[in-house]
Amino acid sequence: MSSDNLSAVLYAKNDLRLENRPIPEPGPNEVLLRMAQVGICGSDVSYLTKGFIGDFVVKAPMVLGHEAAGVVAKCGANVKHLKPGDRVAIEPGIPCRMCDFCKGGKYNLCPDVFFCATPPDHGNLCRYYKHAADFCYKLPDHVSLEEGAILEPLSVGVHACRRAGVTLGSKVLICGAGPIGLVNLLTAKAMGATSVCITDIAENRLQVAKEMGADHTLLVSTGDAEALAKEIKELLGDMPDITIECSGAEPSIRLGIFATKSGGMMVLVGLGPPEVKIPIVNAAVREVDIRGIFRYANCYPLALDMIASGKVNVKPLITHRFKLEESAKAFETARTGAGGAIKVMISCE
Amino acid sequence: MENEYPTLHGIGNMKMEKHPIPALGPHDVLLKMSKVGICGSDLALVYKGRQGDFVPPFPMGLCHEASGVVVQCGPKVKHLEVGDKVAVEPGGPCRVCSFCKSGKYNNCPDACFHAGPSPIPGCLARYFKHTADLCFKLPDNVSLEEGAIIEPLSVGIHACRRANVTLGSSVLICGAGPVGLVCLLSAKAMGATNILVTDIRQNRLQTAKKMGANDTLLVKTETPEDLAKKVAEVIGCQPEITLECSGAESSIRTGIFATRSSGTVVLVGIGNPEVKLPIVNAAVREVDIKGVYRYIDYYPIAIDMIAKGLVDVKPLITHTFAFEDYKKAFELCKTAEDGVIKCMISCD
Repeated sequence: MSSDNLSAVLYAKNDLRLENRPIPEPGPNEVLLRMAQVGICGSDVSYLTKGFIGDFVVKAPMVLGHEAAGVVAKCGANVKHLKPGDRVAIEPGIPCRMCDFCKGGKYNLCPDVFFCATPPDHGNLCRYYKHAADFCYKLPDHVSLEEGAILEPLSVGVHACRRAGVTLGSKVLICGAGPIGLVNLLTAKAMGATSVCITDIAENRLQVAKEMGADHTLLVSTGDAEALAKEIKELLGDMPDITIECSGAEPSIRLGIFATKSGGMMVLVGLGPPEVKIPIVNAAVREVDIRGIFRYANCYPLALDMIASGKVNVKPLITHRFKLEESAKAFETARTGAGGAIKVMISCE
Repeated sequence: MENEYPTLHGIGNMKMEKHPIPALGPHDVLLKMSKVGICGSDLALVYKGRQGDFVPPFPMGLCHEASGVVVQCGPKVKHLEVGDKVAVEPGGPCRVCSFCKSGKYNNCPDACFHAGPSPIPGCLARYFKHTADLCFKLPDNVSLEEGAIIEPLSVGIHACRRANVTLGSSVLICGAGPVGLVCLLSAKAMGATNILVTDIRQNRLQTAKKMGANDTLLVKTETPEDLAKKVAEVIGCQPEITLECSGAESSIRTGIFATRSSGTVVLVGIGNPEVKLPIVNAAVREVDIKGVYRYIDYYPIAIDMIAKGLVDVKPLITHTFAFEDYKKAFELCKTAEDGVIKCMISCD
């Protein structure tokens, strides 16, 4: 094994450095992975450009990257289900396993979770990385490492659609056709939604959404939410039972409330301004529930199954590819969305 | 026989009027009204001319929390007979839409509602015609006064159901007015073991304590974030559930900050149509925000709870007025003075 563990390390806002770090030794329940593919997420870009998200502040150098797949290089003594050479997708959050949230199956809400590339925890945009083996999922031969890296955002879609109650026959409004809107589109359709309308402020994104299976698209501005809600009702033939809001923007959350059918559900996936002004009485008296999501729990196996079985095709999401050494360029592309970038993938091999 | 009832013609403009008693359909009953309670929504309609987003078409009837005695039955009515005391479930779901057919008739967009969008009289009347399946017979040990409390009690049951209150739940109830108190009674009956009630008035908290709150907390000038911290200190943990019963923006904010991750905030109180909320805090902690609208067939449960002694609603009824003095009743409720909780008007 070489001693080259080149890693993309964020020192401070706008200060990304490539440097060598020691190769970690896996514990008894861990595996050492030779990193293969790492996707860039909006949150990674936020840490790079702002140095913080909410209360999570970059105070010490931190390796970036959390949407990842790699190859097992070494197994800890207790690891039974993996062996060196296995290609795996890496679920980046490792919960404490002992708190009430963990014991209740909601490990995504564990207050002491280790999460890749959320300060102060290191991510896996590097050559070698160790991780709890039970959070590494073996990929079948026909699923690529790039697809393995897409399991992370796809799991966000799975968690959101589950929390939204998407099922056979659902009519779904998805606000926002960025990568998150698109994974929700794929998941909703896979779960049986028969009518999905997706909105965005950019026509080219709607084009991609159409190609990926959206039944209807609607170009929106920050205009009259109630009027747009009527347009959506006309497009779908009825008000949607479910809205999955993927932008975090206040006008879009307002649109979701007005558009959703009484007794329906709006799931907030996108995170925007901490405070928004919303028509709460409209939501309340029509029993339109508002639920947020935080990451995912127990979703990776389903996400993998969706890809492995051919139920979803995530390949069109990966538009730009870079090498680890070109990380700065990769992040710039992700930041600007230049060239119609959806998911930017970095190869660490 | 002639009917007599107050009609609302505009803001603050109520007039007693005489009208003929309507003919019954085959499934209807005619009730001689007994006790009618006043609700916050009635006050909003009378004194503000609107409730939330709803602006009524005048003239309209008043009140929807009521009990009465059956004086006439339509030919197809099987489960009631003349002389039966009943609690009235107000409203008239259409019965044909998908909401009605799937057990969510409370969301029926075409439902008429007394003291809602309605050209027909409200429950505050000498006589009231209603569909028999929405009139529920009171057992001998439940009074007509208690029968008029079934409506708000059903709101409390629906709120607790939507919040998934169950055995062992820890619950924050914001607001100790009548709505907060029926939520308190329902939550306790459903097994909540840790109920904290907040209010801006000490006397209301005293009533809440007597009615079974485990703890009370007087709200002063704290920020919602600080109040949320105090709540956790008093209960000993963050509550899983908040039942927000005031509709005030600051209180909804408190509910969100106070509720444990993966918990639920149920909005029972109706206030300003638009509020500024810490939505990211709620979203990333998976604190769900759910509203409630009326009730879904909870009258039998509510009546049973009273009949079996699981809840005592009598302390809620603080004032009673004669039919002719209905305006005084509305005025008292509007001022919220004299320790008024639920004001009854006697129509018999």
